[in-house]
Amino acid sequence: MKNTIFYLLLSTLIVSCIGDDIIDDMVDEQLRITMMPEVIAQGETFQFAARYTNNVGLIEEGRVVWGSSDESLLTINQDGLATALQQGSVMVSAMVTLEGKEPLLELIPITIGGTGSTVISEEVSSARVGTIQTTTFYKLEGDFTLEENDGKLLLSISENYETTSALPGLYVYLTNNPNTNNGAFEIGPVDVFKGAHVYEIDGVGLNDFDYILYYCKPFSVKVGDGKIN
Amino acid sequence: MKKQSIIKNIVVLILFFFSTTIYAGGPWPQLKNKGYIKISEWWIISNQHYTDNGRIDPNVTSGLFNTSIYAEYGFTDKLTGVVYFPFLSRAYFNNTVSGTTEEIIIPGEAINSLGDTDISINYKILGGPIALSASITIGIPLGNDSGGSMGNLQTGDGEFNQLLQLNAGTGFKIGETNAYASAYAGYNNRTEGFSDEIRYGVEAGVTLFDNRLTAIARLYGIKSTNNGIEGQRENSTSIFANNSEHLTFGPEIAYNIRENWGVSAGFGTALSGKLIYAATSYNVGVFFKI
Repeated sequence: MKNTIFYLLLSTLIVSCIGDDIIDDMVDEQLRITMMPEVIAQGETFQFAARYTNNVGLIEEGRVVWGSSDESLLTINQDGLATALQQGSVMVSAMVTLEGKEPLLELIPITIGGTGSTVISEEVSSARVGTIQTTTFYKLEGDFTLEENDGKLLLSISENYETTSALPGLYVYLTNNPNTNNGAFEIGPVDVFKGAHVYEIDGVGLNDFDYILYYCKPFSVKVGDGKIN
Repeated sequence: MKKQSIIKNIVVLILFFFSTTIYAGGPWPQLKNKGYIKISEWWIISNQHYTDNGRIDPNVTSGLFNTSIYAEYGFTDKLTGVVYFPFLSRAYFNNTVSGTTEEIIIPGEAINSLGDTDISINYKILGGPIALSASITIGIPLGNDSGGSMGNLQTGDGEFNQLLQLNAGTGFKIGETNAYASAYAGYNNRTEGFSDEIRYGVEAGVTLFDNRLTAIARLYGIKSTNNGIEGQRENSTSIFANNSEHLTFGPEIAYNIRENWGVSAGFGTALSGKLIYAATSYNVGVFFKI
């Protein structure tokens, strides 16, 4: 009997080793200008900002190369700080070089106006919307709005939202890679399964992420997502 | 006289059949001072599960292994005590690895502990051609219900349950081959917010090769009453999730190497299910009659 127990225990330890599950988490690299003006007043400076996310959706700092189409009108250093020298029109470029691929390039037309004419693009302060959809056989659907309010980010889930309460450990995230929760911002556990509700989020900007992600932690599997438009 | 002898032989064989199962039950309890011990390994590895609507979705590859002792002892000809004790239970899940960067995104984990243990009393109500017994089983939560860094590894459900069960069966012959058929139904009262369960099953067995080889076919299942607390067990997966259901086909063979000991092997594959692994489980064991 002792031998039987020994061999059964041995077989358990041999067969039950931890292996690897490989997931397809590749996404397209993205470059987005997150802070830009429409007009800069002559003699003033403006801090441009851009966000580059790599092929797994993680932010990489220091990859953006800034440029100006006419340095007699506007100069910009590699931290994105621009100085308007003369009135006129100019193109500001943000570029990230990629190995074996075409570089990512964003061009922004800028007008350099008279004193006090600086105008920040309204696009960066507008609300963003989207629709949640299931990627499994679990029910998950509904619309949402992401907007800033009093320095906080509010994720408002609409009345048409519904999901299952049967799934264990369902969490909601903000992410740039809807295939994984790696590098995602965890908002919290899902405890409302039907109807409108709001998540208050601290420490995240409106344009930091492009997807909301519903992820089952215990099963380590994505349940659904929604593109933030 | 010949008919009585045949019935006696069938009953003896039936006792052997039920002694080769992992779980307590069967309408034929042990005779007084007779007993049976089985040491076995049961395991399941799964990378998918049944959803709440019975469809199959993927999950991180996870495994559960139970090394256990199962024992029956006849206190009287009518009353048998049964213990199922998984003295080593191991649960694990795999690393999640990025296919792009080949880096480990979520490290795999494993836990080892005792498993949830069952203690049963099986009482013979009727003997003869149609046998009937009643059993009560208490489930002792010796396993770990929230292991690992995320609390999602379990070797037990963390609740103390009580299962009341009725077992009925009959022995018969198919030509010269001894055979039996039986069925059971029970109500499992669960605590700690878990839904109760209705458990049921049927099985049939035959002996071959001079009664050395026993072939058993089982169909058994669990139906949740869905009366638990919603979202109570948020990290429970594998076979320990709340409101789990399944209907499983589980054949098994047992071979008597000597009169007082033998080996067995079987598997169970779910035909349908809800909130439970969608994979085949396996078991091998060595049994001893005392």
